[in-house]
Amino acid sequence: MQPMGNDKPTNVPGRPVSPFRAAPQSSTPFISSGPVVGLEASGASRATTPFLSSGPGTILGASGTPQTTVPFLSSGPITGTQMSNYRSPPPPPVRYNGPSSPPPPTSYPAQDATTYQQTQAPRFPPPGQPVTPFRGPVGSSGPSPSGSFRPQPQIPSVPMGPPPQTATQMSSRSNMPPPLSESSFSATRPPPQPSLQGYSYGLPRGNMPPASAEPQLPAPRSVSQPPLQQAFPSSHVPPVHASYHAHQGGVVPPPPPPIGGPLGYNSREQIQYPNIGPPIGGNLQGLVEEFQSLSVGSAPGSLDHGVDVKSLPRPLSGDEEPIKILETFPLNCHPRFLRLTTYAIPSSQSLLARWHLPLGAVVHPLAEVPDGEEVPIVNFGPAGIIRCRRCRTYVNPYVTFTDAGRKWRCNICSLLNDVSGEYYCALDASGRRCDVDQRPELSKGSVEFVAPTEYMVRPPMPPLYFFLIDVSVSAVRSGFLEVVATTIKSCLDELPGFPRTQIGFLTFDSTLHFHNLKSSLTQPQMLVVADLDDIFLPLPDDLLVNLSDSRHVVDALLDSLPSMFQDNANIESALGPALKAALMVMSQLGGKLLVFQSTLPSIGVGRLRLRGDDLRIYGTDKEHTLRIPDDPFYKQMAAEFTKHQIAVDVYAFSEKYTDIASLGSLAKYTGGQVYHYPSFQAPTHQEKLRYELARDLTRETAWESVMRVRCGKGVRFTTYHGHFMLRSTDLLALPAVDCDKAFAMQLSLEDTLMTTQTVYFQVALLYTSSSGERRIRVHTAAAHVVADLGEMYRQADTGAIILLLSRLAVENTLSHKLEDARQLMQLKLVKSLKEYRNLHVVQHRLGGRLIFPESLRFLPLYVLSLCKSLALRGGYADVPLDERCAAGYNMMILPIRRMLKLLYPGLYRIDENLIKGPEEFNESSKQLALSAQSLDPRALYIYDDGFSFIVWLGRMLSPDIVNNTLGVDLSGFPDLSRLALLEHDNEYSRKLMRIIRRLREKDPSCFQLCRVVRQGEQPREGSLLLSNLFEDQAAGTSGYVDWILQIYRQLQSS
Amino acid sequence: MVFVWLTAFFLLIALIVLVIYQLMCLADLEFDYINPYDSSLRINKVVIPEFVLQGVLCLLFLLSGHWLMFLFCVPNLYYNVRLYRQRQHLVDVTEIFNQLNGEKKRRLLKLINLVVLLFLSLFWMIWSVLEDDE
Repeated sequence: MQPMGNDKPTNVPGRPVSPFRAAPQSSTPFISSGPVVGLEASGASRATTPFLSSGPGTILGASGTPQTTVPFLSSGPITGTQMSNYRSPPPPPVRYNGPSSPPPPTSYPAQDATTYQQTQAPRFPPPGQPVTPFRGPVGSSGPSPSGSFRPQPQIPSVPMGPPPQTATQMSSRSNMPPPLSESSFSATRPPPQPSLQGYSYGLPRGNMPPASAEPQLPAPRSVSQPPLQQAFPSSHVPPVHASYHAHQGGVVPPPPPPIGGPLGYNSREQIQYPNIGPPIGGNLQGLVEEFQSLSVGSAPGSLDHGVDVKSLPRPLSGDEEPIKILETFPLNCHPRFLRLTTYAIPSSQSLLARWHLPLGAVVHPLAEVPDGEEVPIVNFGPAGIIRCRRCRTYVNPYVTFTDAGRKWRCNICSLLNDVSGEYYCALDASGRRCDVDQRPELSKGSVEFVAPTEYMVRPPMPPLYFFLIDVSVSAVRSGFLEVVATTIKSCLDELPGFPRTQIGFLTFDSTLHFHNLKSSLTQPQMLVVADLDDIFLPLPDDLLVNLSDSRHVVDALLDSLPSMFQDNANIESALGPALKAALMVMSQLGGKLLVFQSTLPSIGVGRLRLRGDDLRIYGTDKEHTLRIPDDPFYKQMAAEFTKHQIAVDVYAFSEKYTDIASLGSLAKYTGGQVYHYPSFQAPTHQEKLRYELARDLTRETAWESVMRVRCGKGVRFTTYHGHFMLRSTDLLALPAVDCDKAFAMQLSLEDTLMTTQTVYFQVALLYTSSSGERRIRVHTAAAHVVADLGEMYRQADTGAIILLLSRLAVENTLSHKLEDARQLMQLKLVKSLKEYRNLHVVQHRLGGRLIFPESLRFLPLYVLSLCKSLALRGGYADVPLDERCAAGYNMMILPIRRMLKLLYPGLYRIDENLIKGPEEFNESSKQLALSAQSLDPRALYIYDDGFSFIVWLGRMLSPDIVNNTLGVDLSGFPDLSRLALLEHDNEYSRKLMRIIRRLREKDPSCFQLCRVVRQGEQPREGSLLLSNLFEDQAAGTSGYVDWILQIYRQLQSS
Repeated sequence: MVFVWLTAFFLLIALIVLVIYQLMCLADLEFDYINPYDSSLRINKVVIPEFVLQGVLCLLFLLSGHWLMFLFCVPNLYYNVRLYRQRQHLVDVTEIFNQLNGEKKRRLLKLINLVVLLFLSLFWMIWSVLEDDE
C-alpha cells in the first residue's frame, strides 16, 4: 500500500500485467468499485472510490509530474466516464471486488470504514495541498473536472515513463498491485490503446486511490509513500468511501469514480452502458472502447457478488433491427427480410474458426411490411426475367453494366452477360444506367418478378384447404368441434383466391367419414369407410369442391357438423388412415391440410403409444427419443405430402398426451405449423382458437413454393433450420409459406481465403400467389468481407445469432439430452466471449471484468432465457412433454422479433394507467426487468411473451381495481383459472382492455390469451409467471447475476 | 474347400456392388442429379438384401470353420444388426441431406471392409486350389 503513490506509476508498467492478472479479479472489484462505490453496503468502498479518482486526477493536473500524471491519466479518463457512471451506478455492487483479491481487497473492506474515513480525511488535505486546488475542483465539481481530465489522461499516458520505475517497486509491494490494477482497469475501459497506459497507471491509484494520491502528492514517490500506504491499505479504502459518500450525496461526485476499489463495479464502460444505455454511447463512444464490460470481481467466500443488478444490460426495447447496414449498403433489402448474424463475413477459415457463434442468415421472405413499403412488382413481359447465364442469379441493384450498357456483370459469379435488346439502356457518365430510377429491380433490394410459363411445371394451383377433423368423444366434449366449425364458416368469405378456392372435409374417429359436397346436392352426403387397412376413396371427385360453386353445401355441412357427432361415443382415433385418405384426395392439386386432433392416434397405421411418463428415462442417453417421432410413418407421410405440395398445420387439443413430437413432424417437413392447446376448454380457449384458425385461413399464403439462397463465390449455405423439406442440397421445398415463418441457415467458407471485398446474398422465393400468379420474390443483400475478428463482433446482430442458436438448441434436443443442449449453448457463449476477451486482453487490463462487444450485450441474457425456455428448461417435471415439443416446433418457425419477445417477455406495470388519466399506454418506456423484484404487491402487471398475457394482481392492490376489472369479488376466492377477462362497464375495465388490445395489435400473428393470477396463488402463480421471470433464480437454474458470474468464472478458468 | 471360397467370392462381389450402388445414389443426390425421394427409395430397396447377404457370408465362414475370416466379418454384421434393431437401417428421406455425409462415410467403411475380405478370400481360394492340385 505504501508505495501506492509511487508504485502506481511504476507498477503499472511492469507489474501490472502479471500481478494484476492474478490479482485482477479481486482487484477488479476495486476498479469497478470506483464507479460503483456507492453500491457497497459498507459504504466504505464507496468512499474509496471517490478518493482514488479524485486524488489521482487532481494530482496529475496539479503536479504535472510524470509519475503523478500517470495516475492522473487513468483517473482522469476514468473520472470523466466514471462520473457519469457513478451517478447512475452509485448503488452498485462493488463489494465483490474486495473479495476477488483476497488478501488486499478483503482487508480493505474489512477494515472499518469509519477509521478509514478519518484517516483519509486528514490525508487528503496534506497530500492535496499542492494539489489542493485541483481537488477542490474535482471534488466539488466532479463532473466537469472529470471531463477535463480525460484529455489529460490520454496525453499523460504517453509519458508513461514513470511506470517502469515503479514497476520494480511494485513488484516488491505485492499488496498494492491488486488495487491498483483495478483502478487501472476502470481507466482502461473504453479507449483501448491510450487507455491502456492510462490503465496501468490508473491501476495503482485505483487501488489505493486515496492513499496513493495522498502519498504521491506530498512525497510522491518512494519512501514516504510506503508507510502511508500501508496505513492506508487497511483503513484507507473504507475511509475514502465514506468521504465519498458524503460527496456523492452532496455533490455529484464525479471525482470518485473510478476507483471504488473494493466494490467493484466499475468499469466505466459498463456502467455507463448499462446504466445509461444509449446516452453513454453517445458521449463516450469515441473515447470508450468498442466493448462493454461488467465488473464481476468477487471475493472467494463472500456472499456478495460484484455485479450491479440494475446495471446489467436488458433488452427493454425489444428487437433492434440492424438498420445501420442500410447506411453502408443502401441498396440492400430491408433487414426484416434477411439478417446476417454478422455483417462482416470472415475472410478465412482460420478467422471463422475463432468466431464461435453461428455464422449464417435468417430469412423471412414474406415478412409483413408497413404500409407504403410494399415490395414492388416487376413484369418483364415476354422478354423474360433477366438472370445470369451461369449462376442463375436474378438481376439486382448490385449488377454492373459495362460496354456502354450492352453487357452486365453478375455480382455473384462475375460472369459477363449480354443485355437483351428490350432491356438495353444507355449508361450515363458515371456508368449507371439512365433508367435506374424507373426500374425497381435495379434500385431496390427487394422486388417481386412475375414469372412467365417457364417457371411452371403445371398450371398455378388454386388455394386449397382440406380439413381433417377428429370427431371422437374427446373432441366433442372439449367443444373444439363446434368452435372449429363456426370459425371455418365465418372465414369462408375471406379465404384467399376467390373464386378458385377449393375446399374439402374429412372427419374421422375409428372410421373415416368422407363428405360429398357436390354443388348439385342440397345437403352434404356422408360416406363412411371402415376398412382402415386398405383405404380407398368412395368417390372419384366431389370430395374436394370449388368453394364458390358448392358454398351452400359447405355451409350446410359446417352447420350440421357439431350436432352430427354430438352423441358420438367413439373413443378411437384413426389419424394415420385419415392422413392417407387426405393425401389421396389432395395429391392432384396440393394445398393446405389442417389436422384437428384431440387424442392420441389409436388405431390403424401410425398409431402411437403413450410415452413420456417414464421419469427414469430422463438424464439417460435415450432421453431424446421422447422428442422425436415414435413412428417413422409420420415422417414418411410428411415427405409424401411435401412431394405433392401439401402443407400440414396441426391443431392439437389434448387433455392428455397426444405425442406432439410425432404429429409435429407432419408440420415440420411440410412448411406447416403446430398449434397446441393443452386441455382445451371451449369457454376459455375458444377466442384464441378462433383467432388463430382465422388467421391461418385468411393470411396471405404463398403456395407450392421453393426457395433458394444464392451467395457469392467462396461461401456456401450448408445447413438449414426451420419447417421445410430440402429438395436438393440448397433448395427448400415449401408447399405453403406465409408471413409468420422464418428460416435460418448457416454459412460455411469454401476456400481457405476469400479474395473478394464484398459478398452478396440473394434469396429467391418462387411461389404461386393465391390469385394464381406465379411470382418470384427476390431479396438481395451485400456484406463486407473482413480479416479482423473485432470487426465481426462489431457488426454482429444479436437477434439473428440468438435465433440461429435457439434453432440449433432445439435440434440438439432431438438427438441429445436437454442438459447437453443447454451446455452447448453456454459453451458457445463462453467461447465467443473468451475469444473476444483475448482480442482485448493484450491491450487492456481486464481483470475482474466481463467484457463483451456492444453489439452482443444482450447475448448472455438471451442465452440464459433460452436455456430456461419451455423447450429447453429443466427435465421431466418442469414441462409436460407435449408442451415442450410444441414449444420446440414453434421456435423453429418464429421470426426474430417474436423470438426475442419470447425470450425476454415484456412486463408492464399498469395500475397507474388505470387510475390516472387517459394518457396513452406506452410499452417501450414502461417495460420492467423480468424479475420478481419488479413486482410490487400494490400494483397490477401485465406479462406479455407474445403467446399469452398474464395479468398479475398484487396482494395489496386496491380491491376497487380488482373488482372492477375482473367483475368478481376476490374476497370470495374465485377460481381465477376459469375467469375470462371481459370488458365491464367501468373505467378501469375499459382502460385495461384498451391496453390489452393495444398490446395484441403489436403482434397480430397469434392471439395472446389473457390469464389472471393473484400474488400468492399457488401453484398457478409459480407455473404461469414466476417460472418465466428469466432473471430470477428458479429451481436448479441460475438467475441473471449468477449466470454472469458463472460465465465470468468460466472465462477465467480456462 | 474351393467351393466355399468361390461362394464367398461371389457373395463379396454382390455385396460390393450393392454398397457401391448405394454410394452412387448418395453421390447423385449430392450433385442434384436425382431427387431425395428417388434416391432414398433406391437405397432403401437394397438395404435389406445387403444385410441378408452379409449375414449369409458370415454364416458361411462360421460353418466352414474359417474363424479368422469370420472375425473380419463380425464387426460389419454387428453394426448391421444394431442399425436394424434401432430401425435406423433405412435412410430417412426427410433428413437425408443432413445425414448425407454420415451415410456416405459409413458405406465407405463397409466398402473398405468388403474389399479387404475380397482380397483375402481370393488369396485363400488360390491357395486352396494350389493345395488341391498338389
